[in-house]
Amino acid sequence: MDALTKWKIVRILLTTIYLMFGWILFSGTFTLTSITLGLVFSSTVAFFTYSLFIEKGEAARRSLLPRVYLVGVYFLLLVFKMYVASFEVLLSVLRGRINPRVVHFRTRLKSDIARVLLANSITMTPGTVTLNLDDDHLIVHWLNAKTTHSRYAGNIIKGDFEEILKRIWI
Amino acid sequence: MDLAPLSWDFINYFLLGTTVVSTVRLIIGPTLADRLVAVNLIAAQVLAILVIVAVKEKLSVYLDVALVYDIFGFIGVLAVVKYFGRKEEIR
Amino acid sequence: MILAILIQFFLFLGIIFAVLGNLGVLIFPDVYTRLQASSTCTTTSVFSFFIAGMLYSGFSPITGKILVITVFFIVSSPVSAHIVARFAWNREIVPWRKLTPPIREKQ
Repeated sequence: MDALTKWKIVRILLTTIYLMFGWILFSGTFTLTSITLGLVFSSTVAFFTYSLFIEKGEAARRSLLPRVYLVGVYFLLLVFKMYVASFEVLLSVLRGRINPRVVHFRTRLKSDIARVLLANSITMTPGTVTLNLDDDHLIVHWLNAKTTHSRYAGNIIKGDFEEILKRIWI
Repeated sequence: MDLAPLSWDFINYFLLGTTVVSTVRLIIGPTLADRLVAVNLIAAQVLAILVIVAVKEKLSVYLDVALVYDIFGFIGVLAVVKYFGRKEEIR
Repeated sequence: MILAILIQFFLFLGIIFAVLGNLGVLIFPDVYTRLQASSTCTTTSVFSFFIAGMLYSGFSPITGKILVITVFFIVSSPVSAHIVARFAWNREIVPWRKLTPPIREKQ
């Protein structure tokens, strides 16, 4: 058994575990029939879709199994920043004074899921919407732009998110 | 528990009113993207209405409806974007 | 008593964000700025209503289901906002910019 076959089996098992988690979350029951049905269906789905879910080259341990306690901290920070951002947008709606610009910058995150989460967090917080994400190049539309310099704008927009995401998923 | 100034009924009618207001942007939006923004907004508010009805009546059936409604709203936006985006490429 | 005040507070936040999000969608000048108003304000308002509902129904199966819906909504709402923004960006809609004050010409 060579390394690629082993890696394929590990990918199928990991996909089954993630799907099983979703099954338990949505069905909400713990009877024997429910668990068995969930195992059968999630392993069948995992056998056909494992190559879409986890790519062949993505083999770092931290990108597959995140640190769970930091995810909670990240979620709380996200909710707090969401309220602050909404108050800022609300003030600019009331004043009617906006200064929208398009800003380009780069991120240092390596794995795909961390980049996607960074783009989603940017969309949710201070008056910014991600327009495009190419490898590590982000295009962001910014209400109330303070600067258009690439590095400073990146530091203001990304904030603490990049540090915490780097520790969760690399 | 009684909620004195803001009851669930009031919130329900209020959200219906704001949904009607956001329909204006759906009708007058100059481009297709404006209309998509309005569709997104209406989907979020109808989701809130469903959840509030479920909480008020203590019926958890509405929550299943709300979940499926959320998923289908997401897929609807995705389908519209996919369809018109491809048309743009061919032209 | 404290619980009732908290529920009232979250409902009030939700109402304010819903009104101003809709107002922003009506008065802002182009697609991207309207998307800012709709994505942030309305997500926050719906999220506040969900929190109020969870506080009201206490420890019951309804709370668990609302929690699942909240998680799904928090994942799906920025993704659909990003989809619409990317659609507009790929269609080459030019973002609106505030007009800079005119440069005085030397005579």
